[in-house]
Amino acid sequence: MLYLTLASKAYARNLQYRGAHMVHNLASAMFGYMYACLWIGIGADHSLGEYGTQGMVSYIAFTQSSLWISGFLTNGLGIPLTVRTGQIALDLMRPVHLFTHLMAREWGQIAYQFVYKSIPIYLLFSIVFSLQWPTEASTLLFAALGLAGASYLSICMNYIIGVTAIWTTESSWLHWGNHALMNLLAGFFIPLEWLPEWLERLAWLSPYPFLLYVPTRIYLGFEDGSLLWGTLLWCALMTLICLVITRVMRRKVEVQGG
Amino acid sequence: MKRTSWVHLYKILIRTSIRSRMQYKFNFILASILAALIQISEFLMVALVLHRFGAIKGWSLHEIGYLFAIMTLSKTLYRTFGNEVHHLEKYLVGGELDQLLTRPMPVLLALLPQNFRIMIGEVLQGGFILCWSLAGMMHSGQIGWTVIPLSLLIILTGAIILFSIGLATATLGFWTTRIEELQTITEDAARTAAQYPLTLYPKWMSGILLTVIPVGFVNYIPSLYLLRGQGGAWVLAAIAAVAVLCLAASLRFWKYGITKYQSTGS
Repeated sequence: MLYLTLASKAYARNLQYRGAHMVHNLASAMFGYMYACLWIGIGADHSLGEYGTQGMVSYIAFTQSSLWISGFLTNGLGIPLTVRTGQIALDLMRPVHLFTHLMAREWGQIAYQFVYKSIPIYLLFSIVFSLQWPTEASTLLFAALGLAGASYLSICMNYIIGVTAIWTTESSWLHWGNHALMNLLAGFFIPLEWLPEWLERLAWLSPYPFLLYVPTRIYLGFEDGSLLWGTLLWCALMTLICLVITRVMRRKVEVQGG
Repeated sequence: MKRTSWVHLYKILIRTSIRSRMQYKFNFILASILAALIQISEFLMVALVLHRFGAIKGWSLHEIGYLFAIMTLSKTLYRTFGNEVHHLEKYLVGGELDQLLTRPMPVLLALLPQNFRIMIGEVLQGGFILCWSLAGMMHSGQIGWTVIPLSLLIILTGAIILFSIGLATATLGFWTTRIEELQTITEDAARTAAQYPLTLYPKWMSGILLTVIPVGFVNYIPSLYLLRGQGGAWVLAAIAAVAVLCLAASLRFWKYGITKYQSTGS
Protein backbone atom coordinates (compact mmCIF):
# COMPACT_ATOMS: atom_id res chain seq x y z
CA MET A 1 0.00 0.00 0.00
CA LEU A 2 2.84 2.34 0.94
CA TYR A 3 4.57 1.56 -2.33
CA LEU A 4 1.43 2.28 -4.28
CA THR A 5 1.11 5.64 -2.55
CA LEU A 6 4.74 6.48 -3.32
CA ALA A 7 4.23 5.57 -6.96
CA SER A 8 0.99 7.51 -7.34
CA LYS A 9 2.53 10.58 -5.70
CA ALA A 10 5.40 10.49 -8.19
CA TYR A 11 2.86 10.15 -10.98
CA ALA A 12 0.75 13.01 -9.69
CA ARG A 13 3.72 15.34 -9.21
CA ASN A 14 4.49 15.11 -12.90
CA LEU A 15 0.96 16.00 -13.93
CA GLN A 16 1.79 19.61 -13.04
CA TYR A 17 4.14 19.82 -15.99
CA ARG A 18 2.01 18.20 -18.68
CA GLY A 19 2.16 21.25 -20.94
CA ALA A 20 5.94 21.50 -20.90
CA HIS A 21 6.20 17.75 -21.41
CA MET A 22 4.06 17.95 -24.52
CA VAL A 23 6.51 20.45 -26.04
CA HIS A 24 9.30 18.11 -25.07
CA ASN A 25 7.46 15.24 -26.74
CA LEU A 26 7.54 17.20 -29.94
CA ALA A 27 11.32 17.43 -29.67
CA SER A 28 11.60 13.72 -28.90
CA ALA A 29 9.37 12.92 -31.86
CA MET A 30 11.59 15.10 -34.03
CA PHE A 31 14.62 13.05 -33.06
CA GLY A 32 12.77 9.84 -33.95
CA TYR A 33 11.59 11.35 -37.22
CA MET A 34 15.16 12.29 -38.08
CA TYR A 35 16.47 8.81 -37.38
CA ALA A 36 13.64 7.35 -39.45
CA CYS A 37 14.58 9.69 -42.33
CA LEU A 38 18.13 8.38 -42.12
CA TRP A 39 16.92 4.81 -42.55
CA ILE A 40 14.58 5.82 -45.36
CA GLY A 41 17.63 7.40 -47.03
CA ILE A 42 19.70 4.25 -46.58
CA GLY A 43 16.78 2.07 -47.66
CA ALA A 44 16.56 3.98 -50.95
CA ASP A 45 19.87 2.43 -52.11
CA HIS A 46 20.13 -0.76 -50.06
CA SER A 47 17.85 -3.58 -49.06
CA LEU A 48 17.38 -3.54 -45.31
CA GLY A 49 17.30 -7.28 -44.65
CA GLU A 50 14.27 -8.81 -43.01
CA TYR A 51 13.05 -5.39 -41.89
CA GLY A 52 12.78 -3.54 -45.18
CA THR A 53 12.49 0.24 -45.12
CA GLN A 54 9.01 0.31 -43.55
CA GLY A 55 10.18 -2.25 -40.97
CA MET A 56 13.14 -0.08 -39.98
CA VAL A 57 10.85 2.94 -39.64
CA SER A 58 8.61 0.88 -37.32
CA TYR A 59 11.73 -0.22 -35.46
CA ILE A 60 12.89 3.37 -34.85
CA ALA A 61 9.37 4.51 -33.92
CA PHE A 62 9.15 1.80 -31.27
CA THR A 63 12.63 2.29 -29.78
CA GLN A 64 12.23 6.07 -29.67
CA SER A 65 8.91 5.75 -27.81
CA SER A 66 10.27 3.05 -25.49
CA LEU A 67 13.22 5.24 -24.48
CA TRP A 68 10.89 7.04 -22.09
CA ILE A 69 10.23 3.93 -20.06
CA SER A 70 13.50 2.08 -20.28
CA GLY A 71 16.08 4.77 -20.96
CA PHE A 72 15.22 8.20 -19.60
CA LEU A 73 14.83 7.47 -15.90
CA THR A 74 15.65 9.74 -12.99
CA ASN A 75 19.43 10.11 -12.93
CA GLY A 76 20.68 7.61 -10.32
CA LEU A 77 17.09 7.44 -8.99
CA GLY A 78 17.82 10.77 -7.33
CA ILE A 79 20.40 9.32 -4.93
CA PRO A 80 23.29 11.64 -5.96
CA LEU A 81 21.17 14.62 -5.00
CA THR A 82 20.22 13.16 -1.62
CA VAL A 83 23.88 12.40 -0.95
CA ARG A 84 24.78 15.98 -1.65
CA THR A 85 22.08 17.38 0.62
CA GLY A 86 22.57 14.78 3.35
CA GLN A 87 19.00 13.53 2.95
CA ILE A 88 20.41 10.06 2.24
CA ALA A 89 21.10 9.50 5.96
CA LEU A 90 17.42 10.00 6.72
CA ASP A 91 16.36 7.84 3.80
CA LEU A 92 18.50 4.98 5.07
CA MET A 93 16.98 5.28 8.54
CA ARG A 94 13.44 4.77 7.29
CA PRO A 95 11.77 1.48 8.07
CA VAL A 96 11.43 0.91 4.32
CA HIS A 97 14.25 -0.60 2.29
CA LEU A 98 15.96 2.13 0.25
CA PHE A 99 15.83 0.09 -2.95
CA THR A 100 12.12 -0.71 -2.84
CA HIS A 101 11.32 2.79 -1.66
CA LEU A 102 13.09 4.46 -4.57
CA MET A 103 11.85 1.81 -6.97
CA ALA A 104 8.21 2.45 -6.05
CA ARG A 105 8.70 6.15 -6.69
CA GLU A 106 10.37 5.45 -10.02
CA TRP A 107 7.52 3.17 -11.13
CA GLY A 108 5.21 6.16 -10.68
CA GLN A 109 7.52 8.22 -12.84
CA ILE A 110 7.67 5.48 -15.47
CA ALA A 111 3.88 5.10 -15.48
CA TYR A 112 3.56 8.84 -16.09
CA GLN A 113 6.13 8.79 -18.87
CA PHE A 114 4.41 5.83 -20.47
CA VAL A 115 1.04 7.56 -20.56
CA TYR A 116 2.16 11.09 -21.36
CA LYS A 117 5.28 10.50 -23.41
CA SER A 118 5.61 7.04 -24.97
CA ILE A 119 1.97 6.71 -26.05
CA PRO A 120 1.55 10.20 -27.59
CA ILE A 121 4.88 9.89 -29.41
CA TYR A 122 4.02 6.44 -30.74
CA LEU A 123 0.56 7.58 -31.82
CA LEU A 124 2.11 10.51 -33.67
CA PHE A 125 4.56 8.18 -35.44
CA SER A 126 1.70 5.78 -36.22
CA ILE A 127 -0.09 8.53 -38.10
CA VAL A 128 2.96 10.10 -39.77
CA PHE A 129 4.48 6.80 -40.92
CA SER A 130 1.22 4.77 -41.21
CA LEU A 131 2.59 2.11 -38.88
CA GLN A 132 1.02 -1.33 -38.65
CA TRP A 133 0.04 -2.49 -35.18
CA PRO A 134 0.44 -6.12 -34.12
CA THR A 135 -2.70 -8.16 -34.59
CA GLU A 136 -1.96 -11.02 -32.19
CA ALA A 137 -2.72 -10.49 -28.52
CA SER A 138 0.24 -12.67 -27.53
CA THR A 139 2.65 -10.37 -29.37
CA LEU A 140 1.35 -7.39 -27.43
CA LEU A 141 1.47 -9.30 -24.17
CA PHE A 142 5.06 -10.47 -24.65
CA ALA A 143 6.14 -7.01 -25.80
CA ALA A 144 4.53 -5.49 -22.69
CA LEU A 145 6.33 -8.02 -20.50
CA GLY A 146 9.58 -7.24 -22.28
CA LEU A 147 9.08 -3.52 -21.69
CA ALA A 148 8.17 -4.00 -18.03
CA GLY A 149 11.33 -6.08 -17.61
CA ALA A 150 13.32 -3.39 -19.41
CA SER A 151 11.99 -0.72 -17.03
CA TYR A 152 12.88 -2.86 -14.05
CA LEU A 153 16.38 -3.49 -15.38
CA SER A 154 16.83 0.20 -15.98
CA ILE A 155 15.67 0.99 -12.44
CA CYS A 156 18.28 -1.42 -11.08
CA MET A 157 21.03 0.03 -13.28
CA ASN A 158 20.16 3.57 -12.20
CA TYR A 159 20.08 2.49 -8.58
CA ILE A 160 23.57 1.03 -8.85
CA ILE A 161 24.80 4.19 -10.58
CA GLY A 162 23.14 6.33 -7.92
CA VAL A 163 24.62 4.39 -5.03
CA THR A 164 28.16 4.94 -6.30
CA ALA A 165 27.60 8.64 -5.51
CA ILE A 166 28.25 7.71 -1.90
CA TRP A 167 31.83 6.94 -2.74
CA THR A 168 32.55 9.28 -5.59
CA THR A 169 30.21 12.20 -4.70
CA GLU A 170 29.88 12.66 -8.43
CA SER A 171 28.19 9.86 -10.30
CA SER A 172 27.01 11.81 -13.31
CA TRP A 173 29.95 10.46 -15.29
CA LEU A 174 28.64 6.92 -14.79
CA HIS A 175 25.21 8.11 -15.83
CA TRP A 176 26.63 9.48 -19.07
CA GLY A 177 28.75 6.39 -19.64
CA ASN A 178 25.61 4.30 -19.26
CA HIS A 179 23.86 6.54 -21.75
CA ALA A 180 26.68 6.10 -24.27
CA LEU A 181 26.64 2.33 -23.92
CA MET A 182 22.90 2.33 -24.37
CA ASN A 183 23.30 4.21 -27.66
CA LEU A 184 25.61 1.53 -28.95
CA LEU A 185 24.60 -1.75 -27.36
CA ALA A 186 20.85 -1.55 -26.76
CA GLY A 187 19.96 -1.51 -30.45
CA PHE A 188 18.48 1.95 -30.17
CA PHE A 189 19.36 3.06 -33.69
CA ILE A 190 20.93 -0.04 -35.27
CA PRO A 191 19.55 -3.54 -34.84
CA LEU A 192 22.21 -5.59 -33.05
CA GLU A 193 22.67 -8.08 -35.90
CA TRP A 194 24.13 -5.27 -38.01
CA LEU A 195 26.88 -4.44 -35.55
CA PRO A 196 30.37 -5.80 -36.22
CA GLU A 197 30.41 -9.38 -34.94
CA TRP A 198 32.65 -8.78 -31.92
CA LEU A 199 30.52 -5.84 -30.78
CA GLU A 200 27.33 -7.83 -31.19
CA ARG A 201 28.78 -10.61 -29.06
CA LEU A 202 29.86 -8.09 -26.45
CA ALA A 203 26.38 -6.56 -26.42
CA TRP A 204 24.75 -9.92 -25.70
CA LEU A 205 27.01 -10.37 -22.68
CA SER A 206 25.49 -7.21 -21.21
CA PRO A 207 21.93 -6.39 -20.12
CA TYR A 208 21.66 -3.60 -22.73
CA PRO A 209 19.91 -5.56 -25.53
CA PHE A 210 17.06 -6.34 -23.13
CA LEU A 211 16.36 -2.65 -22.63
CA LEU A 212 15.27 -1.86 -26.19
CA TYR A 213 16.22 -4.44 -28.79
CA VAL A 214 14.39 -7.43 -27.31
CA PRO A 215 11.02 -5.69 -26.65
CA THR A 216 11.19 -4.10 -30.11
CA ARG A 217 11.92 -7.36 -31.90
CA ILE A 218 9.06 -9.04 -30.06
CA TYR A 219 6.68 -6.19 -30.81
CA LEU A 220 7.56 -6.26 -34.51
CA GLY A 221 6.84 -10.00 -34.60
CA PHE A 222 10.41 -11.19 -35.34
CA GLU A 223 10.73 -13.12 -32.08
CA ASP A 224 8.49 -15.21 -29.89
CA GLY A 225 8.67 -14.74 -26.13
CA SER A 226 11.70 -16.98 -25.57
CA LEU A 227 14.14 -14.08 -25.28
CA LEU A 228 12.21 -12.98 -22.20
CA TRP A 229 14.04 -15.65 -20.23
CA GLY A 230 17.13 -13.52 -20.70
CA THR A 231 15.25 -10.50 -19.36
CA LEU A 232 14.18 -12.53 -16.34
CA LEU A 233 17.70 -13.76 -15.71
CA TRP A 234 19.14 -10.25 -15.82
CA CYS A 235 16.35 -8.93 -13.57
CA ALA A 236 17.20 -11.58 -10.96
CA LEU A 237 20.92 -10.86 -11.19
CA MET A 238 20.46 -7.11 -10.98
CA THR A 239 18.13 -7.41 -7.99
CA LEU A 240 20.78 -9.40 -6.20
CA ILE A 241 23.43 -6.77 -6.96
CA CYS A 242 21.12 -3.99 -5.75
CA LEU A 243 20.43 -5.78 -2.47
CA VAL A 244 24.09 -6.53 -1.83
CA ILE A 245 25.19 -3.02 -2.68
CA THR A 246 22.59 -1.52 -0.30
CA ARG A 247 23.92 -3.71 2.48
CA VAL A 248 27.46 -2.47 1.86
CA MET A 249 26.24 1.08 1.65
CA ARG A 250 24.45 0.93 4.99
CA ARG A 251 27.80 0.29 6.64
CA LYS A 252 29.59 3.13 4.96
CA VAL A 253 27.72 6.37 4.66
CA GLU A 254 29.55 9.62 4.48
CA VAL A 255 27.14 12.48 4.58
CA GLN A 256 28.17 15.62 2.77
CA GLY A 257 26.11 17.95 4.83
CA GLY A 258 24.02 20.73 3.39
CA MET B 1 33.38 53.52 -21.32
CA LYS B 2 35.81 53.03 -24.18
CA ARG B 3 35.67 49.90 -26.28
CA THR B 4 39.14 48.77 -25.18
CA SER B 5 38.18 48.90 -21.53
CA TRP B 6 35.12 46.72 -22.24
CA VAL B 7 37.45 44.11 -23.75
CA HIS B 8 39.77 44.41 -20.78
CA LEU B 9 36.87 43.92 -18.38
CA TYR B 10 35.63 40.94 -20.36
CA LYS B 11 39.09 39.34 -20.09
CA ILE B 12 39.17 39.78 -16.32
CA LEU B 13 35.71 38.28 -15.92
CA ILE B 14 36.63 35.26 -18.02
CA ARG B 15 39.84 34.72 -16.09
CA THR B 16 37.89 34.68 -12.83
CA SER B 17 35.41 32.25 -14.28
CA ILE B 18 38.15 29.85 -15.40
CA ARG B 19 39.81 30.02 -12.02
CA SER B 20 36.61 29.08 -10.22
CA ARG B 21 36.05 26.16 -12.58
CA MET B 22 39.53 24.81 -12.02
CA GLN B 23 38.87 24.40 -8.30
CA TYR B 24 37.61 20.89 -9.00
CA LYS B 25 40.35 19.59 -11.25
CA PHE B 26 39.56 15.88 -11.07
CA ASN B 27 35.91 16.49 -11.88
CA PHE B 28 36.89 18.71 -14.76
CA ILE B 29 39.18 16.12 -16.34
CA LEU B 30 36.71 13.27 -15.88
CA ALA B 31 33.84 15.29 -17.27
CA SER B 32 35.94 16.21 -20.32
CA ILE B 33 36.86 12.61 -21.07
CA LEU B 34 33.26 11.48 -20.71
CA ALA B 35 31.95 14.27 -22.87
CA ALA B 36 34.27 13.06 -25.62
CA LEU B 37 33.13 9.48 -25.07
CA ILE B 38 29.45 10.34 -25.39
CA GLN B 39 30.07 12.33 -28.53
CA ILE B 40 32.08 9.52 -30.02
CA SER B 41 29.38 6.97 -29.20
CA GLU B 42 26.90 9.14 -31.07
CA PHE B 43 29.13 9.27 -34.13
CA LEU B 44 29.93 5.56 -33.87
CA MET B 45 26.22 4.85 -34.21
CA VAL B 46 26.24 6.36 -37.68
CA ALA B 47 29.72 5.13 -38.53
CA LEU B 48 28.61 1.55 -37.86
CA VAL B 49 25.66 1.95 -40.20
CA LEU B 50 27.84 3.47 -42.92
CA HIS B 51 30.42 0.75 -42.38
CA ARG B 52 27.74 -1.76 -43.21
CA PHE B 53 25.81 -0.02 -45.97
CA GLY B 54 28.33 2.37 -47.49
CA ALA B 55 27.17 5.83 -48.51
CA ILE B 56 23.88 7.44 -47.45
CA LYS B 57 22.30 9.18 -50.45
CA GLY B 58 25.74 9.54 -52.00
CA TRP B 59 27.39 10.97 -48.87
CA SER B 60 30.43 8.97 -47.77
CA LEU B 61 31.51 8.34 -44.19
CA HIS B 62 34.25 10.97 -44.54
CA GLU B 63 31.78 13.56 -45.76
CA ILE B 64 29.28 12.84 -42.99
CA GLY B 65 32.16 12.87 -40.51
CA TYR B 66 33.00 16.34 -41.79
CA LEU B 67 29.41 17.56 -41.32
CA PHE B 68 29.43 16.08 -37.83
CA ALA B 69 32.80 17.57 -36.84
CA ILE B 70 32.05 21.08 -38.11
CA MET B 71 28.77 21.09 -36.19
CA THR B 72 30.46 19.84 -33.01
CA LEU B 73 33.27 22.39 -33.19
CA SER B 74 30.93 25.30 -33.99
CA LYS B 75 28.72 24.33 -31.08
CA THR B 76 31.78 24.02 -28.84
CA LEU B 77 32.94 27.49 -29.78
CA TYR B 78 29.47 28.92 -29.14
CA ARG B 79 29.11 27.18 -25.79
CA THR B 80 32.62 28.08 -24.66
CA PHE B 81 31.80 31.77 -24.85
CA GLY B 82 28.02 31.81 -24.76
CA ASN B 83 27.11 29.02 -22.38
CA GLU B 84 25.07 31.26 -20.13
CA VAL B 85 22.81 32.28 -22.99
CA HIS B 86 21.86 28.63 -23.20
CA HIS B 87 21.22 28.59 -19.46
CA LEU B 88 19.28 31.85 -19.25
CA GLU B 89 16.28 30.06 -17.73
CA LYS B 90 18.21 29.66 -14.50
CA TYR B 91 18.64 33.44 -14.30
CA LEU B 92 15.03 34.15 -15.23
CA VAL B 93 13.50 31.72 -12.75
CA GLY B 94 15.85 32.45 -9.89
CA GLY B 95 15.72 36.21 -10.41
CA GLU B 96 19.52 36.35 -10.75
CA LEU B 97 19.17 38.49 -13.84
CA ASP B 98 18.21 41.40 -11.58
CA GLN B 99 21.74 41.52 -10.22
CA LEU B 100 23.22 41.64 -13.68
CA LEU B 101 20.84 44.40 -14.73
CA THR B 102 22.15 46.66 -12.01
CA ARG B 103 25.73 46.42 -13.21
CA PRO B 104 27.05 49.39 -15.17
CA MET B 105 27.61 47.39 -18.31
CA PRO B 106 25.53 45.76 -21.08
CA VAL B 107 23.64 42.73 -19.72
CA LEU B 108 25.08 40.36 -22.32
CA LEU B 109 28.62 41.40 -21.45
CA ALA B 110 27.91 40.71 -17.79
CA LEU B 111 26.10 37.45 -18.54
CA LEU B 112 28.50 35.73 -20.93
CA PRO B 113 31.62 35.51 -18.74
CA GLN B 114 29.61 34.21 -15.75
CA ASN B 115 30.54 30.70 -16.63
CA PHE B 116 33.26 30.38 -19.23
CA ARG B 117 33.29 26.74 -20.23
CA ILE B 118 36.40 24.94 -21.35
CA MET B 119 35.15 22.01 -23.38
CA ILE B 120 38.27 19.95 -23.99
CA GLY B 121 36.30 16.75 -24.55
CA GLU B 122 34.32 18.22 -27.43
CA VAL B 123 37.36 19.90 -28.96
CA LEU B 124 39.27 16.62 -28.89
CA GLN B 125 36.42 14.61 -30.37
CA GLY B 126 35.44 17.20 -33.00
CA GLY B 127 39.08 17.87 -33.87
CA PHE B 128 39.82 14.19 -34.22
CA ILE B 129 36.88 13.49 -36.53
CA LEU B 130 37.63 16.62 -38.55
CA CYS B 131 41.29 15.67 -39.09
CA TRP B 132 40.34 12.11 -39.89
CA SER B 133 37.69 13.03 -42.45
CA LEU B 134 39.86 15.74 -44.04
CA ALA B 135 42.80 13.35 -44.30
CA GLY B 136 40.58 10.70 -45.87
CA MET B 137 39.19 13.07 -48.49
CA MET B 138 42.60 14.60 -49.25
CA HIS B 139 44.07 11.16 -49.68
CA SER B 140 41.44 10.27 -52.27
CA GLY B 141 42.06 13.60 -54.02
CA GLN B 142 38.51 14.86 -53.37
CA ILE B 143 39.71 18.07 -51.74
CA GLY B 144 42.87 20.21 -51.63
CA TRP B 145 44.65 21.77 -48.67
CA THR B 146 42.75 25.07 -49.03
CA VAL B 147 39.80 23.35 -47.35
CA ILE B 148 41.69 23.42 -44.02
CA PRO B 149 41.78 27.21 -43.46
CA LEU B 150 38.30 27.53 -44.98
CA SER B 151 37.02 24.92 -42.53
CA LEU B 152 38.32 26.98 -39.63
CA LEU B 153 36.51 29.97 -41.06
CA ILE B 154 33.18 28.17 -41.35
CA ILE B 155 33.53 26.86 -37.80
CA LEU B 156 33.64 30.50 -36.76
CA THR B 157 30.65 31.58 -38.89
CA GLY B 158 28.83 28.44 -37.69
CA ALA B 159 29.43 29.39 -34.07
CA ILE B 160 27.99 32.85 -34.75
CA ILE B 161 24.88 31.32 -36.33
CA LEU B 162 24.40 28.88 -33.44
CA PHE B 163 24.91 31.68 -30.93
CA SER B 164 22.26 33.75 -32.71
CA ILE B 165 19.78 30.87 -32.64
CA GLY B 166 20.55 30.34 -28.96
CA LEU B 167 20.17 34.04 -28.16
CA ALA B 168 16.88 34.34 -30.03
CA THR B 169 15.49 31.29 -28.21
CA ALA B 170 16.69 32.60 -24.85
CA THR B 171 15.08 35.97 -25.57
CA LEU B 172 11.70 34.27 -25.87
CA GLY B 173 12.21 33.47 -22.20
CA PHE B 174 11.44 37.10 -21.35
CA TRP B 175 7.84 36.31 -22.27
CA THR B 176 7.62 32.61 -21.36
CA THR B 177 10.16 32.34 -18.47
CA ARG B 178 10.61 28.62 -19.23
CA ILE B 179 12.71 27.95 -22.31
CA GLU B 180 14.42 24.61 -21.80
CA GLU B 181 11.82 22.61 -23.70
CA LEU B 182 11.98 25.03 -26.60
CA GLN B 183 15.77 24.89 -26.62
CA THR B 184 15.60 21.13 -27.07
CA ILE B 185 13.89 21.81 -30.39
CA THR B 186 15.69 24.89 -31.69
CA GLU B 187 19.16 23.96 -30.45
CA ASP B 188 19.51 20.22 -29.81
CA ALA B 189 17.12 18.66 -32.33
CA ALA B 190 17.94 21.13 -35.10
CA ARG B 191 21.67 20.72 -34.59
CA THR B 192 21.44 16.93 -34.54
CA ALA B 193 19.40 17.01 -37.74
CA ALA B 194 22.06 19.08 -39.50
CA GLN B 195 24.73 16.53 -38.63
CA TYR B 196 23.43 14.59 -41.62
CA PRO B 197 22.93 15.70 -45.22
CA LEU B 198 19.73 17.74 -45.41
CA THR B 199 18.71 15.90 -48.60
CA LEU B 200 17.67 13.02 -46.33
CA TYR B 201 14.73 15.01 -45.05
CA PRO B 202 11.49 16.00 -46.71
CA LYS B 203 11.48 19.43 -48.36
CA TRP B 204 9.47 21.17 -45.63
CA MET B 205 11.95 20.04 -43.00
CA SER B 206 15.13 20.97 -44.84
CA GLY B 207 13.38 24.26 -45.65
CA ILE B 208 12.90 24.96 -41.94
CA LEU B 209 16.53 24.06 -41.24
CA LEU B 210 17.64 26.65 -43.79
CA THR B 211 15.28 29.49 -42.91
CA VAL B 212 13.50 29.44 -39.54
CA ILE B 213 16.35 27.71 -37.69
CA PRO B 214 19.22 28.20 -40.13
CA VAL B 215 21.49 25.40 -38.87
CA GLY B 216 21.96 24.20 -42.45
CA PHE B 217 24.32 27.15 -43.01
CA VAL B 218 26.62 25.97 -40.23
CA ASN B 219 27.88 22.88 -42.03
CA TYR B 220 25.70 21.57 -44.86
CA ILE B 221 25.74 24.49 -47.31
CA PRO B 222 29.49 25.16 -46.83
CA SER B 223 30.16 21.44 -47.37
CA LEU B 224 28.32 21.45 -50.67
CA TYR B 225 30.87 23.96 -51.92
CA LEU B 226 34.01 22.84 -50.04
CA LEU B 227 33.66 19.09 -50.52
CA ARG B 228 31.62 18.82 -53.71
CA GLY B 229 32.46 22.00 -55.56
CA GLN B 230 28.82 23.09 -55.92
CA GLY B 231 28.50 26.85 -56.40
CA GLY B 232 31.48 29.20 -56.27
CA ALA B 233 33.52 31.07 -53.69
CA TRP B 234 30.50 33.40 -53.33
CA VAL B 235 28.91 30.64 -51.21
CA LEU B 236 31.34 31.41 -48.41
CA ALA B 237 30.66 35.14 -48.67
CA ALA B 238 26.93 34.40 -48.55
CA ILE B 239 27.40 32.28 -45.42
CA ALA B 240 29.35 35.05 -43.73
CA ALA B 241 26.51 37.42 -44.64
CA VAL B 242 23.95 35.00 -43.18
CA ALA B 243 25.97 34.82 -39.96
CA VAL B 244 26.19 38.61 -39.63
CA LEU B 245 22.49 38.97 -40.43
CA CYS B 246 21.51 36.34 -37.85
CA LEU B 247 23.68 37.97 -35.20
CA ALA B 248 22.32 41.45 -35.88
CA ALA B 249 18.72 40.23 -35.84
CA SER B 250 19.11 38.22 -32.65
CA LEU B 251 20.91 41.07 -30.84
CA ARG B 252 18.11 43.39 -31.83
CA PHE B 253 15.51 40.92 -30.62
CA TRP B 254 17.43 40.52 -27.35
CA LYS B 255 17.49 44.28 -26.81
CA TYR B 256 13.76 44.46 -27.39
CA GLY B 257 13.12 41.42 -25.21
CA ILE B 258 15.02 42.81 -22.26
CA THR B 259 12.72 45.82 -22.13
CA LYS B 260 9.89 43.32 -21.50
CA TYR B 261 11.71 41.64 -18.63
CA GLN B 262 9.73 41.30 -15.45
CA SER B 263 11.56 40.00 -12.44
CA THR B 264 10.19 36.76 -11.05
CA GLY B 265 11.22 37.73 -7.56
CA SER B 266 11.83 34.58 -5.51
